Amino acid sequence: MKKKLLIIGGFMAVSPLLFSFCGFYVSKADGTLKNKTSQVILVRDGNRNVITMYNDFTGDTKDFAMVVPVPVVLRKADIKVVDQSIFQKLNDYSAPRLVEYYDENPCNDYKKYKEDMMMPSGTAMEKALSGKVAGARSSVKIEAQYIVGEYDILILSARESSGLKTWLLANGYKIPANAEEVLDPYIKSNLKFFVVKVNEKEKQKLNSNFLRPIQISFNSPKFMLPIRLGMANADGDQDLIVYAFTRKGRVESTNYRNVNIASNKKIPLFVQKNFGAFYANLFTNQWIKEDKSVAFLEYSWNVTPVNPMKCDPCVGNPPTEQDLVQGGVWWLGNKDWTDYSDVDNEEPDNGSTNVHFTRLHFRYNRESFPQDLMFQVTPNTENYQARYIITHPASGDLNCDAGKKYLHALKQRRKKN
Amino acid sequence: MQLISLPASSAQFISEWLFGKKTIPFFTRLKNGIPSVLISSFGLSLLLKTNDLSVAVFAAVVSIASKYIIRINGRHIFNPSALGIVLSIWLTGNAWVSPGQWGSNAVLFFGVLCLGFIVTTRVQKLDTSLAFLGTFAGLVFARQIIYLDWPMDHFIQSVSTGSLLIFSFFMITDPKTIPGHKTVRIVWCAAIAVVAFYLSAFKFMNGAPIFVLVLAQPLVPLLDSFFKANKFEWVPSKACTPAEKKFLDTVYSRSFM
Repeated sequence: MKKKLLIIGGFMAVSPLLFSFCGFYVSKADGTLKNKTSQVILVRDGNRNVITMYNDFTGDTKDFAMVVPVPVVLRKADIKVVDQSIFQKLNDYSAPRLVEYYDENPCNDYKKYKEDMMMPSGTAMEKALSGKVAGARSSVKIEAQYIVGEYDILILSARESSGLKTWLLANGYKIPANAEEVLDPYIKSNLKFFVVKVNEKEKQKLNSNFLRPIQISFNSPKFMLPIRLGMANADGDQDLIVYAFTRKGRVESTNYRNVNIASNKKIPLFVQKNFGAFYANLFTNQWIKEDKSVAFLEYSWNVTPVNPMKCDPCVGNPPTEQDLVQGGVWWLGNKDWTDYSDVDNEEPDNGSTNVHFTRLHFRYNRESFPQDLMFQVTPNTENYQARYIITHPASGDLNCDAGKKYLHALKQRRKKN
Repeated sequence: MQLISLPASSAQFISEWLFGKKTIPFFTRLKNGIPSVLISSFGLSLLLKTNDLSVAVFAAVVSIASKYIIRINGRHIFNPSALGIVLSIWLTGNAWVSPGQWGSNAVLFFGVLCLGFIVTTRVQKLDTSLAFLGTFAGLVFARQIIYLDWPMDHFIQSVSTGSLLIFSFFMITDPKTIPGHKTVRIVWCAAIAVVAFYLSAFKFMNGAPIFVLVLAQPLVPLLDSFFKANKFEWVPSKACTPAEKKFLDTVYSRSFM
C-alpha cells in the first residue's frame, strides 16, 4: 500500500516540563519545596565537563538557596549564566515525536501533499531564589565567592557533614532531615559545595522575572550527576532529562541499565489528540516493566552544524551553532589560546567540530537509584529517536477494485494495530 | 553481537586448520574445540559492544586466533574473550564495554547461571571467582561503607552488577590462563582485584577488571615456572579409559581455553 508522508507533528514529551536542579533546595521558610523534573545539559570531551542546570523554583524567592556538589573549586571564569531558551529549544527538538502518514486513495491518479507543523506549546516557569550571603563557621570554609549575573555564588568546603549542616542552620536555612546522610559521603569524596543565592540588586537590573540557568565548567575525570542530594527533599519519583553533547558519540550510564524507549510504534488515530498523555503513559509503563533502575534513551543523533540531516523527521528546529555554544559545546566556539585550563586533559583538543547529541530520561527515586548517575562517552554514533506513527485512511470515492482491496487491507491493518 | 559465534567458529576452523595438531583428525579437533569457542563467544557477546560488524568479526578472530598463535609451553597466554575485548577497544576505536548493561537486578539470574556453570565444570576453579570477587567486594565495602559512609544499597549496587559477575564467573576462571598453583592463583586473582578496584574507584575507569586481567596474564607462565602444580584437566579421568584420557589430554591441551 502506498503511503505518503504528509504531516509531521511534534509534541512535548511530558508537557509542561518543570525545571529543577540535581542539588537540593535549602529553604528558610517552613513551606515544603519539592523538585519534580530537572533538565541538565552535559557537555563532555576528554576530562573537560560543562554542566548547565535549570531549576523550577516555586517558593518564596528570598528564602532560598541552592546547593550543588562539584568536584573542584570553580574559578569565576568557570561560572556563567546562559539564556534559558536553550533548554526549550533542546527539548522541543529532541522530544519524542508523533509522525502522521496519509494513505493515498488508490482510485485517484493524482497526489496530494499537505504539510503541517505542530509546534509544542511553551512552558511557563516561575521560580526564584534568594537569600543573604552569610559568614562561615569554622567548620566550613568559603573557598571562593563570586557574583555572576543575578547570582551570589559561594563555593564551600566542609570537614564534616554536621559542619555544613550547622553552617546552613546558623544562617537560617532549613535543610531536609535526611540530607546529612548524603553530605557525609560527598565531603569525604572531597567534593565542594556550590551554594547559589539570588543577588537582589543584580536581579533588579534585569528586566525579567526569570532566573537564568547557571553553567559551570571544570576538568575532572568524574563524569557524573549527583542525584542523591536531590533526593533529600523530593518525595516520590523525580524526572530528569539529560541533554548530553560529545565529540565522539552517545553518552550512556555506566551504573544503571541503558534502555531504548519503545519507538517506531504504529498507534491509533485518536492518540493524536492526546499525544503528551500517551507518551507519559508509555514511559511509565516501560519504566515499571524495566524495573525502574534504568536510563532511557529518547534521542541520539549527530547534530554537527554542517551535518544537513539531523532528524527524520524533525519536530523542532535543530540547534544552531550558536545554541550549541550557548549550551556549552566549547569546541564549536573560537578557541581561546590563552586558556590553559585544558592542559591536563587526557585527550587534547583535536580540532574536530563533531557534535553528538544524546537525550536521556531518568525517573528516579531513593529505592531504585541508590547511586549517583555515572556516565561514559561511547563511540556509538547510531541514530535513535522516539517516534510514533499514525496513518490516516484515504478519503474520497473508493468505489473501484483497487479501492475495495484497500478497504479490506485497511480493516486488516486496524485489527492488527 | 548476537552472531559473534559465526566469525568465532570460522576463526576456529581456520586456526585449527593452520595451527592445530596434525596428529589428531581435523574434524575431531574442531568438534572438541566447540565448547571453548562458544564460551569465548558468550564472553564477547555479553561484555563487548559495537555497532560495526567488522569490529565484531575482528574481536572474534582475535579471540580465537590468539589461542593458537600466542602460546608459551603449549598453553595460550591470554584469556581469548578478554583479549578480544581489550584489543577491539584499543585498536578499532569503535567498541566499548557497558558496565551497567546487565543492570544490578539480574543477580539471581546470573547467580544461578554461574553456579550451574561451576557445577558443570566440577567446581574446578571456584576459588578463582571467589578470590577475585571477595577481594573486590571487600575493597568496595571498605571504601563505600566504612570510609565514605554510603548506605548499604549503594554498595550492593556496585558489587551486584551483571558485568562484574560475568567477569568473575565466566572470564577470570578460564583454567588455561590462570596460575596452576592454588595459593599463587588466589593471590594473583586478589592482586587483579586490588588493581581493578583502584582503577575503578580512583581513576573512574570502566571495565577495569578486563583490562587488568589481560595485562596480568603474561605473568602466568612466569608464576607457573616458579610454582609447579598439577596440570589442569577439564574432564576427570574416572569416566575415561587411559587411552581415551591420553587422547583427550592432547586435544584439550590444544583446543580448550
